[in-house]
Amino acid sequence: MRLALVIASFVVLIVHGVVFYDQFFHKWERHQTAYFEQARSMSNDARERAELEARAPRIEQAIVTSFGDTHVDRCTTCHMAADDPRFTGHGEPLKTHPYSAQLGDVVRNGHWERRHKFSDFGCTVCHDGQGRGLDTHYSHGEDEFWPEPLLGYVTQATWRKDFGPKLKGVAYMEANCAQCHTAEDFAGTPNVNHGRKLFYAMNCYGCHKIDGMSEGTLGPDLTEAGKKYKIDYLWESIVEPRANLDTSFMPKFDLNDADVRALVIFLKSRRGVNFAETSLDRYKAHVANVAVVIPPGTAGETAGEQLIGDRACTACHKLKDKDGGVAPDLTYEGLIRDETWLMDHFQNPRAREPDSIMPSFRFPTDDFQKISAYLVSLKVPPPAMQPAETFKNLCARCHGENGDGNGKVAWYLDPSPRNFTKAAFMTSKPRQRFITSIQEGVPGTSMPVWGKTLKPEQIDGVLSYVLNSFTKEPLKELKPRNLPERNPVAPDAPSVAHGEQIFLERCTGCHGRKADGKGPNSLDIMPHPRNLRNNWFVQAATDRRLFESILYGVRGTAMPSWIDYGLTQHDVGDIINFVRSLNPKPGSQRYATR
Amino acid sequence: MSTAAKDPVPAKTPAPLVSALRELPTNVWSSIFRNPLPSTDLERASTSFTNFFLHLHPVKVHRNTLRPAYTLGLGLISLFLFVILVFTGVLLMFYYVPSTTQAYDRMLDLRSTVAFGIFLRNMHRWAAHAMVGVVFLHMCRVFLTGAYKKPREFNWVIGVGLLLVTLFLSFTGYLLPWDQLAFWAITVGTSIAAYAPLMGKQIQFVLLGDTTVGQEALLRFYVLHVAVLPAVLTLLVAVHFWRIRKDGGLSRPEDGEAARGMLQAGVVKMRIEPSVPLTAGQPAAQSARQDPAAASRESDVAAVALKRRIYGLQGFVRGPFTKVGNVPDDSVYSWPNLLMAELFVLVLTISVILVVSLAFNAPLEQPVNVMHPPNPAKAPWYFLGLQEMVSYSAFWGGVAVPSVMVGLLLVVPYIDRGTAGVGRWFARERLLANTLFVSLVILNVIFIAIGTFFRGPNWAFVSPF
Repeated sequence: MRLALVIASFVVLIVHGVVFYDQFFHKWERHQTAYFEQARSMSNDARERAELEARAPRIEQAIVTSFGDTHVDRCTTCHMAADDPRFTGHGEPLKTHPYSAQLGDVVRNGHWERRHKFSDFGCTVCHDGQGRGLDTHYSHGEDEFWPEPLLGYVTQATWRKDFGPKLKGVAYMEANCAQCHTAEDFAGTPNVNHGRKLFYAMNCYGCHKIDGMSEGTLGPDLTEAGKKYKIDYLWESIVEPRANLDTSFMPKFDLNDADVRALVIFLKSRRGVNFAETSLDRYKAHVANVAVVIPPGTAGETAGEQLIGDRACTACHKLKDKDGGVAPDLTYEGLIRDETWLMDHFQNPRAREPDSIMPSFRFPTDDFQKISAYLVSLKVPPPAMQPAETFKNLCARCHGENGDGNGKVAWYLDPSPRNFTKAAFMTSKPRQRFITSIQEGVPGTSMPVWGKTLKPEQIDGVLSYVLNSFTKEPLKELKPRNLPERNPVAPDAPSVAHGEQIFLERCTGCHGRKADGKGPNSLDIMPHPRNLRNNWFVQAATDRRLFESILYGVRGTAMPSWIDYGLTQHDVGDIINFVRSLNPKPGSQRYATR
Repeated sequence: MSTAAKDPVPAKTPAPLVSALRELPTNVWSSIFRNPLPSTDLERASTSFTNFFLHLHPVKVHRNTLRPAYTLGLGLISLFLFVILVFTGVLLMFYYVPSTTQAYDRMLDLRSTVAFGIFLRNMHRWAAHAMVGVVFLHMCRVFLTGAYKKPREFNWVIGVGLLLVTLFLSFTGYLLPWDQLAFWAITVGTSIAAYAPLMGKQIQFVLLGDTTVGQEALLRFYVLHVAVLPAVLTLLVAVHFWRIRKDGGLSRPEDGEAARGMLQAGVVKMRIEPSVPLTAGQPAAQSARQDPAAASRESDVAAVALKRRIYGLQGFVRGPFTKVGNVPDDSVYSWPNLLMAELFVLVLTISVILVVSLAFNAPLEQPVNVMHPPNPAKAPWYFLGLQEMVSYSAFWGGVAVPSVMVGLLLVVPYIDRGTAGVGRWFARERLLANTLFVSLVILNVIFIAIGTFFRGPNWAFVSPF
């Protein structure tokens, strides 16, 4: 035991030695003594030399309280030469902090004078980082738990490697300039300004709210995005909207790196607090009914066309030479929709398309009328084309070039565009049904009314093209089924109640407890279960069609044939009464404006 | 009238001040240390009552007490960890402020500017985790050696109290860094407390001083952690040690068994003396080394002799052989044996904590953000078993089963009244009790392991590999 005691005591001694060394020979002391020596050798003044000789290393800190929290900045403990102009050519950490006109510094009597003095501002207000740290890892914010790493200089270990190089660069610091310099055209923050313009030009303002700038309610509030999130999260959220939320319907816009960077810098500058404002200014901005003052975009012939350019509708929609790649093509809108439809849709898109992700813009009614008038004027049909061309120009945007329902904008549409390669479905319906869908559109969905744009023989040609190229199987000879044309069960209260009971037992797994098609199974099923509160659609569906879908199922989809599971026609009649009770006459119901 | 014997010429006596100064070192030393370092058995015996710090110890301890394989030193390790925690804790108290706005910044300062700050904090954290584990292992040791049986029942109950106070100390300290880890762990822990029937919400409110974790909770936990609970723990530890003395020292097997067991293990070479008093000068009996068979016979004799110990008059004896009435037994003097063992455990504990503190940094995560709970939010590791059970059922898993387990622990010495098998690990006579206990321990460990490694976001089962 005595031997073990000796060994253990020795270990204790050694550890003490290591700890003492670790705690008494800090790196910052070496930096400081290096500075003293170099400054001394550069000095011409004997008194200064003597002073430097006598100096011993100590912690240097600036305590700054004028910017919200108390900032304790110890950066100058290592960066001793930050204010010493003789060190401009040295390497970090003993390098002079740059002077430049862009930073507001002026030359007086041959010397640079700093506008943003360290004693007034400290360091972290502009640079972020951790002021209290005394070694590089912590003070530069490299520790993954520190919420504010050095902007533009540091990437943390948990950040994605492919974003690393894009998140570096002194431009990122503009986000912090904008904490005080909030003017929209401030020369020192070009990226913030560009980002702000993009915020309007890419129609971010429609979905996202920023206090004083926009009122969107579909996406998260970005008023304090810069305070809450690091730049890697902001970047990822823009280029890969579904990275952190599988069900996000934020579009993936086509932006190059410079644009994304400008947006990230702009968002990072949104800290929810502006040190140049008074609290009264802030309060006013918060409660102001923001009449969205959007900078003018493109010039247009008519007022409506001008407005479409200004309001960045083509950030999502397609019109003329601009295409956002997210929403339907408006080129033939005058042939597809009428002014009533358009005005309704503008006031609240969900009044016409219950599952639309289009924001409810709060423009004045006058603006909507101008835009509608313009769109309704787009009445030039496409030139006569081969069916394949017609499909490519008009249908592929939603239905996909392969007809599989994976068009460019398909992700953003609910219900999803039909997948024509699902032969089980396509062959189970009569040809006339498809002709009707094309000619008259499908109410409550994004399937437009092509009847005025395409002549009947064109429609026929496109349909044959679709069936031959994508479905590839011939339509079957369908057995006639014994189904009532109208629902024989009277829509009285007991019937509706019974229908509701059956619905809750059988249908909610896919169609959801609210009958909106968002049941727990719905995400895994394609095509998604029908939204049974889509009253345009349900009103337009005949009783016979509802009977058929429920009793015999819908082939090629997950809708089972319930006659095999014991539902009688009377039961189904009750269900139909229940479903219809959920869908009062369209127009009489108010949808959430989102 | 002149006398024949004349006083000799008085030598020049030095001034009293000079001689005082010359003898100063010796006088100072001997006024502080009035007893010499022991060299005789009498002196060894007297250390226990001539020294304030040593008087906690008995004069002699049973050899079994010092056997590392018996106790594994776990009780001592727990005590020394507590001492380390108090020491580092007081030093940390000089820099820490229990305010929601200042606490995290203070932690940052501890990490960056306070001399030895990182090291102090590491030592405190790892000693705390170690203490929870070691205290638990100590409880297992005491159970598995049957050391809770009569007359040690109440000491066991005090020990369970100590376990609970240790857990509570660790829990209250966990909140103090005021980072995301701390905040959400304590949110989870106090939410489990809210599941108690009848009084659950009130209990949570008393703990937190509010309905959610905030400034009140931080202050309350701080006071508990630095003042109230250490005082309670010290009090209970004092009673715990007092009880050990009054119970006759640590548990051990019946004397004959111990001797036999140790001889057979070759652990101890015993000097057996016959029970008949020696006449002076006769040589001692042959060492047992040369004759194991004789030794075992003699140890039986010793066992018998001990049962019929004869107490005679004590008398003053000159010389080094104070063996009047000395019957063979298995005890050794505390000085130096027990003290050496304690010193060894102390140095071992300190060195392990120092090395671990050098190698691993205590975590400090993001500052508290009440809008951003981590997913999953996990309680401290020693409560993860509890959290796992809560995920099955809030009441049964979080309140009923743990209460029953603690209740069983408290009451086990009063239920298990058999006296056999004390002082030995895994005694066959106690197979049932040991099996039950070990099963419950393993079950708890499994739950903690599941909660730690196999639970991910939304408490879903994930593979750690």
